[in-house]
Amino acid sequence: MFSFFFHSCLLLLQEASGGRLEQSWEAFRHPDLSKFLVIGALLFIIGVAGVLTRRNIIVIFMSIELILNAANLNFVAFSRYLEQTGNVNAIAGQIFVVFIIVVAAAEAAIGLGIVIALYRNKETIWVDEIDLMKW
Amino acid sequence: MTLSGWEALFFWVFGLSAIFAGLLTVMARNAVHSALFLISSLLSVAALFIILGAEFIAGVQILVYVGGVMVLFLFVIMLVNVGAEERGKDEIFNKPRQVATSLLFCLLLVAALLWAVSNGSRALMAKTLNPDGSPMAPTAQSLPASATHTSMITEATQLLGSALYRYGSLPFEIASVLLLVAIIGSVMLARTLKQEASAEDLAPEVLREEILKDPELANLEQLTIE
Repeated sequence: MFSFFFHSCLLLLQEASGGRLEQSWEAFRHPDLSKFLVIGALLFIIGVAGVLTRRNIIVIFMSIELILNAANLNFVAFSRYLEQTGNVNAIAGQIFVVFIIVVAAAEAAIGLGIVIALYRNKETIWVDEIDLMKW
Repeated sequence: MTLSGWEALFFWVFGLSAIFAGLLTVMARNAVHSALFLISSLLSVAALFIILGAEFIAGVQILVYVGGVMVLFLFVIMLVNVGAEERGKDEIFNKPRQVATSLLFCLLLVAALLWAVSNGSRALMAKTLNPDGSPMAPTAQSLPASATHTSMITEATQLLGSALYRYGSLPFEIASVLLLVAIIGSVMLARTLKQEASAEDLAPEVLREEILKDPELANLEQLTIE
């Protein structure tokens, strides 16, 4: 059923254009490691944009979580890739991810503690109003 | 490594939803909406982990991130909620000059990404294909069925556990110390002035200044002096 749907779409697209589209359709039907890396990189870029552009310090923390998650996705994708090419140490990627999640949890706890202390003293969560250490 | 069939379809669904939810996390005006979009982004990435055969990591992602860290985020958002940004009074982004500069750097990152993908993906494909152009067969075939016969069990979790305790036992212990430091640190950071005063953890001159602002603290001081 599913492959029938794919093949009928493929035939329609082949009618419409030449071989180049067929090639990219093949890449779409069989996503490989590079597609995972692209998704990880896009999540990373979105996280960086959030850290640099937002004013709310809590949203900045959430963007940092997004960045760490993008790194995790890359680690797991490479772990799977190395496993399928026969590397015996491929599982190391997943061990890294476990430690990254631990560090992210610790970082969130400390960071949100700092946010609460800051809000108690400065009554603001806008980062451009927290300029005590600006010379 | 290539996916096919339903795996490919679910890859596109969850990959795109992870990216869109991530975008909405950064764009949302209300911080609570941001947190909810971040939760859906994290869940989509957990689904990608399952597609990649890392079930344990996906479970940890949902339990720790979605169940623990995001609940903590929501608590803090509720605690410090200023409410001005939902009413549309305050600008949620930085000043235009700063936003333009940072978006310029993000565009540079995108350009680097496009360059790397166009150069690297062909070489990567060459590594995962057999010499005649067909995709390599996966190494693990005929997985054992689970007890309920509803799914196949991969050995990834078993491998991860044994590798974690065999090769990563020292980092594992260090991580536990890190978590202890984080617990103590967040408790110390989030104390109120009253709690600090009653624990005799304030410098005397700071305490004297604060008593001028809030006379109730003097009672606590009396207690500690007695």
